[in-house]
Amino acid sequence: MNIYVINGPNINLLGTREPEIYGKDTLDSIAKTCNDKASKAGHSVNFMQSNYEGEIVEWIQDAIIQKVDVIIINAAAYTHTSIAIHDALKSYSGYKVELHISNPHLRESFRHVSFISSAVDGVVAGLGADGYYHVIDLLSKLPIKIN
Amino acid sequence: MSNKKLLIINGPGLSDLSNYSVLGYDDLSLDILKQKCKVVCESLSLKVDFRQSDDESALLKSVMVDIDNFDAFIINPAGHLQSGSTSHDIFNSIISKISSENKPVIEVRIENIFKHEGIKPMQVSDSGAGFIGGLGIQSYMLAIKSINQKISN
Repeated sequence: MNIYVINGPNINLLGTREPEIYGKDTLDSIAKTCNDKASKAGHSVNFMQSNYEGEIVEWIQDAIIQKVDVIIINAAAYTHTSIAIHDALKSYSGYKVELHISNPHLRESFRHVSFISSAVDGVVAGLGADGYYHVIDLLSKLPIKIN
Repeated sequence: MSNKKLLIINGPGLSDLSNYSVLGYDDLSLDILKQKCKVVCESLSLKVDFRQSDDESALLKSVMVDIDNFDAFIINPAGHLQSGSTSHDIFNSIISKISSENKPVIEVRIENIFKHEGIKPMQVSDSGAGFIGGLGIQSYMLAIKSINQKISN
């Protein structure tokens, strides 16, 4: 299956930004492991990161046009602010998982609201960078309609 | 062979999983769920035990009696499908005990609770606690694999 892994603002700083919360893995090493895991399972991953809300919206729209099977989205801080990303995800009919490296519900109260959660199938948070790998490993067991 | 032991706690309401037929699980039962969890745990050489009660205080007692024997915990607090809300207090006392010993804990939900107004994840003192919801019974399988990795390292 085709998978878009979409990452939001500041995730390019992984490895250096508050490593006690987000871990020491860099975005490049996470992308590489995601690609390795996916290709072993016969999937293909497009691993993306942007600090711009509109670019993330456009990638989701692109997933609709390209009939991408799965979106794994870590919208980072836009999780708590972006109705535009919520709307774009609502328009995408493939399988979608919201992912966070830390667990936002156990952090500052301004992170307790997610505009993403109600627009996706599943939510995975607080498993560290391994969360990406576990979700990719699990995809073949989930009820995903392949285009 | 790992000697690590996992405890899976299913909260009030989860004795009857027929509610989840709307999610495409026609024949889902607690026994089937436990069986599937056991298979995954066995494949990881992880020992597993289960606790469930529809009575909060009975559940708390049954967990606290030998909580020290376990290395990691998966909790589905449930409750809301029947009653509208369940006190998370019992899970808080369980989790503060667990986290004071630095043992990993993951909250799992079969359904995506964020599609229902008013249902919130547990607010627990352990900032390292994980959350997995909406992946059906695979929420448990993902939790088992993740927690196994944490306690194996």
